Amino acid sequence: MPDLKKIGTALYAWVNERLDLEPMLKHARAKTVPVHKHTFWYYWGGISLCLFVVQVVTGILLMIYYRPGPDAYASVREITYEVHFGWLIRSLHAWAANLMVAAIFVHMFSVFFMKAYQKPREFGWWTGLALLGLCMVFGFSGYLLPMDELSFFATKVGLSIPGVIPGAEPVIAALVRAGPEVNEFTVQRFFALHVVVLPLLFIPLLAFHLFLIQKHGNALPPSERLKPEAARKSIPFFPNFALKDLAVWLIVINVLALLAAFFPWQLGPQADLLKPAPIGIHPEWYFMSQFELLKVIGRVLTGVAGELAGIGLFTVGMVLWALIPFYDTETGGGRRARRATYFGLFVLLAMAALTIYGYFDLK
Amino acid sequence: MNYPVWEVPFIGSQLVIAIIAIFHVLVSHFAVGGGFYLPMAEMLARKRGDRAWREVVKKHSKFFLVFTAVFGTITGVGIWFSIGLANPEATSTLIHYFVFGWAMEWVIFLIELTTIAVYYYTWDRIPDGLHIKVGWAYAIASWLTLVVINGILTFMLTPGDTWVGVVGSGKETHVFWNAFFNPTYWPSLVIRTLFCLCIAGCFALVTASRIDGDKQPQLKADIIRWSVRWLIPMFVLLPFAGAWYVWQVPAVQRHILELGFSTIGPGAFTIVTRMGLMFVLSFATLLAIVYLLAYRNPRDFKLGSAIVIILLMQAAIASTEMTREMLRKPFVIARHMFSNGVRLSQVAGYNAHGYLARSPWVAAADQRAWAALDAAGPAATNAPDYQAQMFIRGQLMFRGQCLACHTLDGYRSMRGFLAGRDHQGVGSILTMLHDYKADSLYHAFMPPLVGTPGEIAALNLYLDSLVAPPAAEKK
Repeated sequence: MPDLKKIGTALYAWVNERLDLEPMLKHARAKTVPVHKHTFWYYWGGISLCLFVVQVVTGILLMIYYRPGPDAYASVREITYEVHFGWLIRSLHAWAANLMVAAIFVHMFSVFFMKAYQKPREFGWWTGLALLGLCMVFGFSGYLLPMDELSFFATKVGLSIPGVIPGAEPVIAALVRAGPEVNEFTVQRFFALHVVVLPLLFIPLLAFHLFLIQKHGNALPPSERLKPEAARKSIPFFPNFALKDLAVWLIVINVLALLAAFFPWQLGPQADLLKPAPIGIHPEWYFMSQFELLKVIGRVLTGVAGELAGIGLFTVGMVLWALIPFYDTETGGGRRARRATYFGLFVLLAMAALTIYGYFDLK
Repeated sequence: MNYPVWEVPFIGSQLVIAIIAIFHVLVSHFAVGGGFYLPMAEMLARKRGDRAWREVVKKHSKFFLVFTAVFGTITGVGIWFSIGLANPEATSTLIHYFVFGWAMEWVIFLIELTTIAVYYYTWDRIPDGLHIKVGWAYAIASWLTLVVINGILTFMLTPGDTWVGVVGSGKETHVFWNAFFNPTYWPSLVIRTLFCLCIAGCFALVTASRIDGDKQPQLKADIIRWSVRWLIPMFVLLPFAGAWYVWQVPAVQRHILELGFSTIGPGAFTIVTRMGLMFVLSFATLLAIVYLLAYRNPRDFKLGSAIVIILLMQAAIASTEMTREMLRKPFVIARHMFSNGVRLSQVAGYNAHGYLARSPWVAAADQRAWAALDAAGPAATNAPDYQAQMFIRGQLMFRGQCLACHTLDGYRSMRGFLAGRDHQGVGSILTMLHDYKADSLYHAFMPPLVGTPGEIAALNLYLDSLVAPPAAEKK
């Protein structure tokens, strides 16, 4: 029986001699992760990353059979109902997309309430927000690709919303839709956006975000910062936290498989460009709060004015959210810190309420 | 159709059984595996002279007693109650042909309950050696309950040629042991025993997670690492035992596993494939998760992590049991009784004389009215009460032959399956089910539709009303 440990050590020595891995490992071993009652929230960034990896792998597999353009629907139909385990890959891709957005939202709010956007982590906050934004564009562009009835009309409605901004409609028609209506060329453009442009933007940004986390480490929540250094507990990042993270990834993959097994992603009827939109057309859940906000404001202020007011309000909210590191700078707590927390709570509750109300308001 | 039909709106009677059974399986397998865990852990504590370890075992035995004896017994009775209502024909068959088996099971079950009670209440009251012996008595009794019930459960999938050869002759009980030690008996016993050991290890982690890692780091680490080892036999042997089991399942039944390879089309019974995949994935990752969460970091192992492991274990067990149950389709007792209670031997008779002809649930006046409609031929449609009579007749056919597995609007919804079909569309499905040709899409997992042409026409009309309800119902 060969001595596996000896072989492993020799192999590592061979690689280390060429790549000089020791400093990197030394850094990983020296890095620690705080242990306290909120440690659970540290895993959500890793969960988002795990789901992104699933997205990349399943997305590449889907590209083998997917045909953008006029054959889009037929190819997705083939993947879902004919190709061996095509349904599995598509279901994993769709569920992972939804879970990834959900995980990023959880990650964002946990970072917000732990005040992990404060100095020196401002860039981590902004890159995180940019990644969330890109993820939502990933979701929007991917949603159209099957070209079934729901995705077609939801995209049509989604693209009409920014169209009310003066001067925006011709740009959207020329650049995004490739015509006055959503059509097969829109699918082609969304596909290029989904598999080339967005990954080119997302991956470097993600790398920078991860670099910042390595550089600054995990932020302590305000309650832990008040404790004396000696009273704080921590574990080494490598291997302790990294292996726990791996276990969480495996659990996430099981949850994903359960969802794909019990609720596989079906395909609706093919989009008919000449038919009127069916009742109850709605965007994906992560756009629902914004969609509902526009609807609610539209009931008070009718016409274009209402839509512009809604877009304006949403934009102001986004800007305030992004600029929170400039407002809440007091690391020791205080009035501004409390106000920032209330603002976060308000945003969280408003988003949840508008999303839930949005589903009741579909009729 | 000898028994009344149990109609459970939305979830259906089969799902009621499944929900109860999923929990029962977890608890009952824990009762067996934990039976071995307790005396072995106690023996180890005694050998090491470790009183703290012994205290943890004692604490674990309390959790074990309460959890298995209370929850296991309630869910066990729940299964009997629900299968008796949902599948009375099959339950009656199993009781009648396995009288001796059930007698053995209940005697052993009494010993099991008695010994675990004695084991728990005699901690520190009898000598340690004797206490361990009581533990072993419980372990053996507990495992024997599995030995017996495994014979009856596996019989339902693979009754074996000998039993099938005599069924209906009145000599079924003469070949009791042939039916009991059927083709899937031994691989199933190995698999279930492996599950039991694995579950015992996982539940021990729940108790171990409560040990304070800061105050007793070594004790916590030792118990957790020892408990994790209980998962290893399953991880190593399950692929072989699983392959052995699948090999013993008849090819026609095995084929069901492939139904969902390439599609998720509604009504194609593809869930069985998805459950099979879930079973493979969850068991393949379970040991790794336990290793990473518990074995590598025993001091930091918390109750939350232990609960996640139990939930994952539950998902693994549930998907395994669902796959096994669905492999039997279209039968509830393979090669003998279909999932709606119709026996294979009754099909020709029902087709010739009528499914409802001898049902105790049909009034004699209705029987006469239907016979008159059948005799009138196409002219019957002109009769004033034709629609009303056919509706009642069709509804009874639906209740007798469809409701065992389907619901109107919820689980396996009939309205969902038939949506968009007109009278001819529904009729062609019924014809396909009635003809029951070997190359039919539904042959692999649906029972044949039995009955006379008049009864099938009545069912057709009734199902039409589900797809397009009469104006009065639409509101």
